[in-house]
Amino acid sequence: MPFRELSAKLVEAQLVPGQRMFSQRGAMVAYKGEVSFTPNIQGGQGGFGSMIGRRVANEATPLMTVEGRGTVMFGHGGHHVEVIELDGDTLCVEADRLLAFDGSLQQGTMFLGKDGGVMGMVRGQMTGQGLFTTTLQGKGGAAVMAHGGIIRLPITPDHPVHVDPQAYVAHHGDVRNRLSSALSWRDMVGRGSGEAFQLELSGDGAVFVQASEEKL
Amino acid sequence: MTDFRLHGSKVLAVSLGGDAVKAKNGSMVAYEGRMAFKKLTGGGEGLRGMVSRRLTGEQMTVMEVKGDGVCYFADEARDINLVRLSGEKLHVEASNLLCTDSGLRTGTTFTGLRGASQGNGLFTTTVEGTGQAALLSTGPAVLLRVSQGAPLQVDPGAYVGHQGELRQSFQSGVNFRTVMGEGSGESFQIRFEGEGLVYVQPSERATVGGDL
Repeated sequence: MPFRELSAKLVEAQLVPGQRMFSQRGAMVAYKGEVSFTPNIQGGQGGFGSMIGRRVANEATPLMTVEGRGTVMFGHGGHHVEVIELDGDTLCVEADRLLAFDGSLQQGTMFLGKDGGVMGMVRGQMTGQGLFTTTLQGKGGAAVMAHGGIIRLPITPDHPVHVDPQAYVAHHGDVRNRLSSALSWRDMVGRGSGEAFQLELSGDGAVFVQASEEKL
Repeated sequence: MTDFRLHGSKVLAVSLGGDAVKAKNGSMVAYEGRMAFKKLTGGGEGLRGMVSRRLTGEQMTVMEVKGDGVCYFADEARDINLVRLSGEKLHVEASNLLCTDSGLRTGTTFTGLRGASQGNGLFTTTVEGTGQAALLSTGPAVLLRVSQGAPLQVDPGAYVGHQGELRQSFQSGVNFRTVMGEGSGESFQIRFEGEGLVYVQPSERATVGGDL
């Protein structure tokens, strides 16, 4: 595992030759050793086709490839950073929350309508995710940013978790999500509790929630 | 039985077993189990509370959370401090109150000139009864003890709340330098005397006094 949390807001990554890493452009704060940073025009893996895909999906955050031998420290905007270790499962996260990730992870984009139909698309709009989200799959680590600290809530088949769409950060595992609404006449007359929409996550995995309702 | 627990310093986890808590409107970030959210008009203090909150400007939008399971609360990545009350009275700014137990009552009191200098109006919120309350602070709050003969002066912008037998007065250090625009930015303080505890945050809200 190459990522190590130095503090709540800074992660350190170990680099060995032959292994590369992707990070958000400009997120390096310091490095030791022989390390090169090359802007990645394609915005990640997968060649030209994936690049077009990301552009269309509006999930193209400027990335850079980090290669060499040494240690690199990443941090961005004073945001809290959480390292998520993946062991063969899929992580769904917004591209702009992704600080750095292992080159061994398969990067892709997912259409939110795919696992939720029209409601999936509505959900994307509500959470500010847009219609697409980035997926990472495989074995390796990813550093994810959030405003405030992150808590991890496990999801089991008989134990669904409800999350405020604005506080949702990422989820991994075999998780289905749907937007549940608790709209009532109170919301119509401006007397809502501010919790009219919730993201209901069920299945097997975990969801990451930030301690704030602010977007990055 | 309601149980307040902290997840780190910025997320509050409240375990509910069919009972209700009052929380700042819209502060829920996640929940497990079954929960219902209902906005309480006038801070849940009935018609009289509603009218007095309107009149005093100590507006507090509160929701009632009721259900079975664990509910997580957080507000703009601010730090959370747990306070356990057993009969005493806690004074806190409405904007710093995140969550209160069903065993606690909230109300408003007059604070005098201090409130105006904080930019919070002339009134403050009181919490009394037996149970737990969660206070918000920008940065981790420090708890300062006030005892007889050792009064404490606090910057109005850094004041979060206080409890105990405390008298508060407002003091100013306005002199000709302040008038000339050469003030130190510390022209107003709240002075606490008596026996009690004061919560202070390591950050200052924008206040009228802070500009002088």
